[in-house]
Amino acid sequence: MSKSNNLAQAADVLYVYDGSLAGFYSCVFHSIYSKTLPVDICPEEALQPSLYPAIYIATEQDKAERVRRSIPQKIAAEALPLVETVFLSCLEHKELHLLEFLLMGYAQGARVLKMLGDPLVSKIYAAQQHLLGEKQLLLGFIRFSDYGGALAAVITPKNFVLPFLAGHFISRLSGENFLIFDKTHKAALVYQDRTAEIIPIETLELPEASNEECEYRAMWKSFYKTISIQARYNPKCRRTHMPKRYWENMTEFN
Amino acid sequence: MDVQQKLTILADSAKYDAACTSSGAQRSGGRGMGNTVMAGCCHSFSEDGRCISLLKVLMTNHCVYDCKYCVNRRSNDVPRAAFTPEELAELTIQFYRRNYIEGLFLSSGVFRSPDYTTEQMIATLELLRRKYNFWGYIHAKAIPNTSQDLIYKLGLLADRISVNIEFPSEQSLNLLAPNKSRKAILAPMGQITQGIKSGTRDLALYRNAPRFASAGQSTQMIIGASPESDYHIIKLSAGLYDKYQLKRVFYSAYIPKVQDALLPAAGGEPPLLREHRLYQADWLLRKYGFAPDEILSEETPNFNPFMDPKCNWAVNNMQLFPIDVNTAPKAQLLRVPGIGPTSAARIVTARRTGRLSTDDLKRMGVVLKRARYFIAAKDQPTGYKYTKEGVIRSLIDPSVFSFGTEQLSLFTPSKPAIGASSVIEAAEEAILCLKATI
Ligand code: SF4
Repeated sequence: MSKSNNLAQAADVLYVYDGSLAGFYSCVFHSIYSKTLPVDICPEEALQPSLYPAIYIATEQDKAERVRRSIPQKIAAEALPLVETVFLSCLEHKELHLLEFLLMGYAQGARVLKMLGDPLVSKIYAAQQHLLGEKQLLLGFIRFSDYGGALAAVITPKNFVLPFLAGHFISRLSGENFLIFDKTHKAALVYQDRTAEIIPIETLELPEASNEECEYRAMWKSFYKTISIQARYNPKCRRTHMPKRYWENMTEFN
Repeated sequence: MDVQQKLTILADSAKYDAACTSSGAQRSGGRGMGNTVMAGCCHSFSEDGRCISLLKVLMTNHCVYDCKYCVNRRSNDVPRAAFTPEELAELTIQFYRRNYIEGLFLSSGVFRSPDYTTEQMIATLELLRRKYNFWGYIHAKAIPNTSQDLIYKLGLLADRISVNIEFPSEQSLNLLAPNKSRKAILAPMGQITQGIKSGTRDLALYRNAPRFASAGQSTQMIIGASPESDYHIIKLSAGLYDKYQLKRVFYSAYIPKVQDALLPAAGGEPPLLREHRLYQADWLLRKYGFAPDEILSEETPNFNPFMDPKCNWAVNNMQLFPIDVNTAPKAQLLRVPGIGPTSAARIVTARRTGRLSTDDLKRMGVVLKRARYFIAAKDQPTGYKYTKEGVIRSLIDPSVFSFGTEQLSLFTPSKPAIGASSVIEAAEEAILCLKATI
């Protein structure tokens, strides 16, 4: 491990926590004050049988808050959104990497944010880029259907992007009621009567599409087909810009 | 005719216009529907790999003009249709709610007269902005010979407005678009530039009305239907950026659809590789601080099909390299093949924390395949050792091989490649030739 372990001793334990951001910060707190660096940090839901003894780190709001506040104070203001974004990413072992990154940040200060060539720092930035890139694509690729005046969309992203999509769609569709269901993370952004929240939800049963809805879908599909120029046919270029994994939720391919 | 049929006809006849971007305007949503984002947003990509951002349609494909290259010209026998403003506004809103599109790109054939046509377009945009309270992106085409006050009205309703310059020279325009004159194109272009500069908004009509064409002005020209050189074209573009403060010039490879003695034979390939090179050169003008005369010249008036213009410039200026990534100013970093604005910015940030090695660069996401020949770094203080042939081979644009020999012959004047039986053979000839020049 890199320069980060000057504060903590590597220990052969595994931290288990409740999967929340406050829970993660509680793990950071525990690591710092026990001066141990775990082999990994796992949300209890995803816990696999392991060779290492696991200790459960309880979520404690006041400790979490102290860690949270220390980030802009001891590292830099921009470090906080970076950490909290990567926490929602699909980076493997993100909790451990973020802990190492924070320890490195406490030692190096704001400088850590500019150490783009460092193996750990570059990994953290890459995870952030991956999440923001996926969000950027979904801003365009999300498809709503109208069900009796309310709009609903389904997405299957790798990163937990709902919090990053919320602002854009609320601003865009402020007068509508809508819902975006994230099937991967089993959560939905629900916007109703001008208030929004993200709620856990297992499955989503959608009613049959109305005739009018079917007509607009058909028109969109025929527009999509028509707008392509035969003499420029280039499916490889299309796949580069719009990877196949997004197609399953897009009207033009269903 | 129902709206579905109209949509098919009017999207089909609009698709040859290259522009589809929704960039240049930032507006958050308010009481009504819609917002816009500065960078624009692609909602899909069609089978030809082009971004679909806007509902790109014509108001009508009826046309009283007879431009030789155009499928909608009066003398061509095709099905005709026209949207009513109500139909098109409703369609735009319904597509927009479903997040199919970022807004509307409205152009038109000339029905009855330029003024009448523009009035129809204005009626549509007024419905959208006023009745539906729609604040998504609107790009409108200004039709040559439209009266000034109508252009002004259109600009107050649209985010972006554009007039197609159509061809790179006046002779070609006169020959191929006999109903349009250079003057009729440049007059509205100048008027729009003035309108944007003055920053007026129609406060009397709309609260919070956006400024006149706040996302700026663009244009497009057809490439490969007329004899102008690449040098001529990029000089023209640089002039347009300068004189009219255009946001973008779009290049549209001519697709030979009609048989006419003045045009390339119908059924031939569009010059896609040449178009690609033009866009690359255009980026160099807009984002990398290149002047047209650095890219091409009277002596070398056409692009090298095998290399992008930046690489081509670099091999012809090897004496300027290597440059040290740890000390070179950003503008110089941008001159290195393979280093773009993102990489340059990262290098400038990261080198404040210590001297950078090529491994650092790799981890930062800088692609070294081409850049390595042109830089010095901590582990390579005097640059990378290379042979002339090695540099050239690594700079050859691999996409050339998927384009095929016919694309090479569409460069003017066609390269020696024309005699070669394969792209590989032609590329070998080009490598030998370049080796001799550096
Ligand atoms: S004015 Fe010319 S280019 Fe435009 S639609 Fe009519 S014929 Fe085509």
